[in-house]
This record gives sequence, C-alpha cells and structure tokens, in this order.
Amino acid sequence: MDRLINLDRRFIFVFVFLGVAIPLLVDIPLPIKPSPTVRSVYDEIERVAAEDAGRPVLVSFSYGASTEPEMVPMTRAVLRHLFQRGLKVVGICLWPDAVGLAQPEMDELAAEFGRRYGVDYAFLGYKIGYQAVVLNMGQSVADTFPFDTEGTPVGDLPVLAGVESLKDFSFVFDFAAGDSMEFWWIPYGQEKHRFPFGGGCTAVMAPDLYPFLQSGQLVGLLGGLAGAAEYETLVDAPGRATDGMQPQSVTHVIIVLFIILGNIAYFASRRRDRQA
Amino acid sequence: MPFLTRTLPFAICFLFGVAGFAIFYSPHPYAEETTQAFALWLRVVSAFAYFLGLYSLLNLHWSKIRLRQSGWAYSLIVYISFGVMCLFVLYNEGHGPLQAQSKTGAYQWMFTHIHVASSATMFSTLAFFISSAAYRTFRARTSEAAILLVSAVIVMLGRVPIGGYLSETIPEAMQWLMTVPNMAAKRGILLGVSLGAIATSLRIIFGIERSYLGGGGEE
Repeated sequence: MDRLINLDRRFIFVFVFLGVAIPLLVDIPLPIKPSPTVRSVYDEIERVAAEDAGRPVLVSFSYGASTEPEMVPMTRAVLRHLFQRGLKVVGICLWPDAVGLAQPEMDELAAEFGRRYGVDYAFLGYKIGYQAVVLNMGQSVADTFPFDTEGTPVGDLPVLAGVESLKDFSFVFDFAAGDSMEFWWIPYGQEKHRFPFGGGCTAVMAPDLYPFLQSGQLVGLLGGLAGAAEYETLVDAPGRATDGMQPQSVTHVIIVLFIILGNIAYFASRRRDRQA
Repeated sequence: MPFLTRTLPFAICFLFGVAGFAIFYSPHPYAEETTQAFALWLRVVSAFAYFLGLYSLLNLHWSKIRLRQSGWAYSLIVYISFGVMCLFVLYNEGHGPLQAQSKTGAYQWMFTHIHVASSATMFSTLAFFISSAAYRTFRARTSEAAILLVSAVIVMLGRVPIGGYLSETIPEAMQWLMTVPNMAAKRGILLGVSLGAIATSLRIIFGIERSYLGGGGEE
C-alpha cells in the first residue's frame, strides 16, 4: 500500500503519454456540446453580421509561442466565422510573438474565403505599450498604428475607412494568454468606450474571467482548447481543437482514475494504521 | 535628502500619480489629450525597457561565459541563437532591415520550427508534472479537501467532451461550479487585490512607501 501511495511519478508519466498518444492514432468520436459562454461569442458575431456589418471587427492577438497549441486553433475558428459572415477584420498584436503566429493564419483564412487585403481585412502588427496601446487607440487608431506590417499608411486601407477610434469597431475580440483582457482591454478600452467585447484565453486563465462575464464587460469567452473545439463545432469546421479533445478527454480520465486510486490507497493505509 | 536621488523622483511620482488619477476620470477634452500623451510616453519608456532587458540578458550570460560558471555552454547557445536570429532579421531575405519583414525565409522558418516548437513543447510538459502533482495532492484528508477533490474531478471531466458523454449532469455541474462558487471567490480575490493595489499606489504617490527609490523602505 505504501508503494501505491508513493507511486513512482514515471509510472504516471507513461500513462499520460499513452493517454495522449493512443487517441491521436485511434479515432474515438466524442460529442462536443458548446457551452453558454462560447455560444455567446458566436451569437454576438452573428448579431454583428446581421445588424452592423458595415463597421470592421477588431481582433487583438495577445499570445506567444508557448500557448500556440491552444490559441491558434481558437484563432482559426473565430477568424473563420468572421470571414464566413463577410465581416471586415482588422488584426493587431499586443505581444511581439503574436505577429508570426497570427498573420499567417489570417492570410490563409482570408484567402480561403476570397477576402482581399486592405479592402476586407488588414493586419497592423505589433506596438509596444500594453494597456497604453489600448488607451491611445481610444483616441486615434491611425496615430497608434500609422502603418500596417507592409508599410502601407492605414489611411490608404479601405477596410479602416470611417474608423477613428476604438468605438468605431462593431466588435472587439482579444485572444489572450496573459492578463490583457482583465487589465488592459476591460479597464482602458471596454469600460471607457463601451464597445461589445469578447475574448478567448488559455484554459488556466478562464476561471479568472468569469466575473467579467456576469458584469457584461465580456459578452462571451472561449476557454482553452475545449473552448476552441466548441467553436469549431458551432462553425461546423472541425480542426486541430476537435482532434485535440480526444487525447485531452482520455488524459483527464486517466488523471481522475489516478486520483481515485491514490485516495483508495490513502484510506486503506489509514485504516491499517488505526488497526495497528 | 539628496535632491536628484530622492526629492526629484518623489516629486515626479507625486505629480504624475495625482495627475494620472485625476485625468483618467475626467471627460474634459484637455484631460483626454493629457491621458493620451501620458500613454504615449509610457510606450516610449516601455520600448527603452526592452533595451535594458536585452542588455541585462546579454550581460548576465556574458558573465557566465567569462567566468566559466556551471552551465556556461547554455549561455553560449543564448549568444549564438540571438546572433543568428538577428542576422536573418537584418538580412530579411535580401531586402534589408528597413523594409517590411519577409513572411518567408530563414527567420520565419526558425521562428516556426524552432522557437514555437520548443516553447510549446516546454509548456506541454507541464501536463506530466500536473498529473503527478494531482495524484499526490488530491487526497481527502479533511472535509474541505474532499470538497476540493470532488470539484476538481467534476471540472476536469466537465471541461472535456467525455464528461457530457458519461452524463449530461457533469457539464452542468461544472458550469454551476464555474459560475457560482468560482466566480464568487474570484470576485472576492479581485476586489481584495484591487483594494490592495489602490492602497499601495496611494502609499507610493504620497511618499509613505519609498523603497522603489532604493536604499531604504518606509520613512
């Protein structure tokens, strides 16, 4: 029993590895049901497409390389929906790594839906300053991002025609692997200018953001790979996130079984000690 | 109190602290313009902080190489990696550093296939350590620990499709845990942290807390 309580962690590592590897090789179809917080983002984009399609949507990328497996599938699912609905999209980065991660996805999806650069979408790249960038965009987008990543003045981009400041976007969405939603966008952007704001974040961050959902400062939230998979289900385009749900499901079950096993061993040893 | 090291920084801190607080809540156009100017200055300072960070990183690793400290070879790899990446950024597929960065080429290849791959791998290995930690720590030693354990199991299963496959109740229970007890606790923590941040900011603005000036704490 003591051996079970002090189980060699490499034993657990082997099971976790198999729990990830086997479902990647063997297809285990599992139903994915979108949660209310994910559905709210979908519904908001549908509303914008129906009522406010003339104004562009601002998409902010605040993530880096380490969270690529969680954030890029989410990025693809949301961008797919935006382009599918014919919405104009403007991308910016508040983390330097995000440029190399988000721009290729944006270009690829725009090409898939036949969207033209400059007319239907634009990518303005990275600017340093975190919350200060959000504050500056509250007054002037063109002064904050004078050029796109190709060096074209933003005034020459038709997609940004009529956009003076943040409140001229129909919807703002932040992909966050840090605290950009609760400490940059909500206090210095959404709360000041009252635009509809949604977000997607890593799974570990999602519980921190629930108070902002109830307050209405966030219209919806995609949490981690599961949130991305739910969004892929809503846009009917299964991708990397949906594929990732199989290993993630099996691994979670393995961890739960280990926790149960650990508790059985713990109670058995406690009973033995009492009897002794 | 030396003027340049104590009085002047304190005066700047007081002035910008009070002004920043006052103008943020004022809708007057002048206040709005001043906020924008402050934000722009903050961005300029942040940009210089990158140079400081770079200097600090390279200096630290140079010291390790020079003194042949334990693991100095890794510091050499930092220099080589930094140099190679810089070289290809400046080369920019023959277009030079003043043109927009090329979307293809050696730099992009290294970014995607080395930087992204290795960073994501490092982050992914956490799954193994978290699994091992969960096995050792989630023990129902007390009633509070048992509640935490049951909640953790519900959230772990409810966040993935297999939870809904096993029972419709698991995702619903997970959603309730997230939107009621979790949100109440998070809101409490957030309010506490915010009040603490306000109190600390006021102490700094009014000069009660001066440790940021160096050479001592409260006075």
